[in-house]
Amino acid sequence: METGQSARTTTGWLWISTAARLGLATVWLVAGGLKVGDLAASGRAVNAYRVFPYEVAKVIGAAQPFLEIALGLLLLVGLAVRLCAGISAGLLVIFIAGIVSAWVRDLQIDCGCFSTGGELGAGQSPQYLFDIARDVGFLVLAGILLWRPRTRFAIDNVLMGEE
Amino acid sequence: MSGKINRDRAKAKRVVQEQLAKERRRRVTLWTSLGVVALLVIVGLIGWGLAAGQESDKTANLTTPSVAVDEGTAFAVGSGPVLIDIYEDFMCPACGQFEADAQTTIDQLVAANKVTVRYHPIAILDDASTTEYSTRSAAASAAAAQGGKFAEYHKALFANQPEEGSAGLDDATLIELGKSVGLTDAAFADAVNDGTYRAWATKVTDTASARGVSSTPTVQVGGKALEDRTAAGLTAAVEAAGA
Repeated sequence: METGQSARTTTGWLWISTAARLGLATVWLVAGGLKVGDLAASGRAVNAYRVFPYEVAKVIGAAQPFLEIALGLLLLVGLAVRLCAGISAGLLVIFIAGIVSAWVRDLQIDCGCFSTGGELGAGQSPQYLFDIARDVGFLVLAGILLWRPRTRFAIDNVLMGEE
Repeated sequence: MSGKINRDRAKAKRVVQEQLAKERRRRVTLWTSLGVVALLVIVGLIGWGLAAGQESDKTANLTTPSVAVDEGTAFAVGSGPVLIDIYEDFMCPACGQFEADAQTTIDQLVAANKVTVRYHPIAILDDASTTEYSTRSAAASAAAAQGGKFAEYHKALFANQPEEGSAGLDDATLIELGKSVGLTDAAFADAVNDGTYRAWATKVTDTASARGVSSTPTVQVGGKALEDRTAAGLTAAVEAAGA
């Protein structure tokens, strides 16, 4: 039997996780939605990091918005939350690594996180620190879900049966 | 005692049920995970396929202007020894600023036969207008080049640069600007109206991206990126490259 204290804690986490899940879903849906309209530009944004050859960057740039939207929808309905949180965390780590590498190499680019990015014009300065801090914030959301994937209003609950 | 036996039975039953439930959860987790991974892979492939389709749509009916140089992706002005490559988007304010700062200097360098300028009109800011002005204006500049008036038309476009976020200049205005620099024949107007060189603008953009050009203006003097894009910076770089 759970004590009253730990039952309250469990309920508390249930709601925190639910908020994290919906928050992360929104992040992916917005990020993907802003890029999906111009896949060529999304490819150019990936290319601006100068990590991959252009042909590879184009493929990544084309696939990425759809992946982001799919992850957003899965999190929104609460299907395979822990797995989606894990994939989200992996992607965010890659994004952060990308931004750090752009910063280290002194590239003058827009991270393309919530836009189709690309290089910055004269007089615009990159906001790498802000971008990284924001992605770390999203990583925390993913971390919460990895640790406590149980949430309210999730398809997972229906499939698993309430524990 | 039968009471104890019943209790033990109930307990055993519960343990079995819990194990079955656990087993079921494990199975559901496995299959949903596989399903989700498959879904993500498929969705990624759809994106790839869509992008490839869009690219082939956009570059279908490619008409390369016969006067274009550099694998058909640029227009040359002047014939001097030092090569200046300028990648510009007619929508980009920083390009407008660069033109305002350096155009006179470039004209002088061209007139003194010191440089050959290769203009690459790329379209990376189609999102900055409601009518894909970047692509349309780059295509119009190709039509102007075909009519022998690239340099003049290029200046006219920057002198009349629309605001970011606006509808850009419409095709009629693009044709009017052509007339103002002497492009009065029907060929120019038809090419603008028909969007003859729009696929070409996409191809130039793609070629530039493949070369690592992702911002505008990108200026290269003798193949080296120009950091100081002022008139003085340009002059110094040209002298360094010519020496």
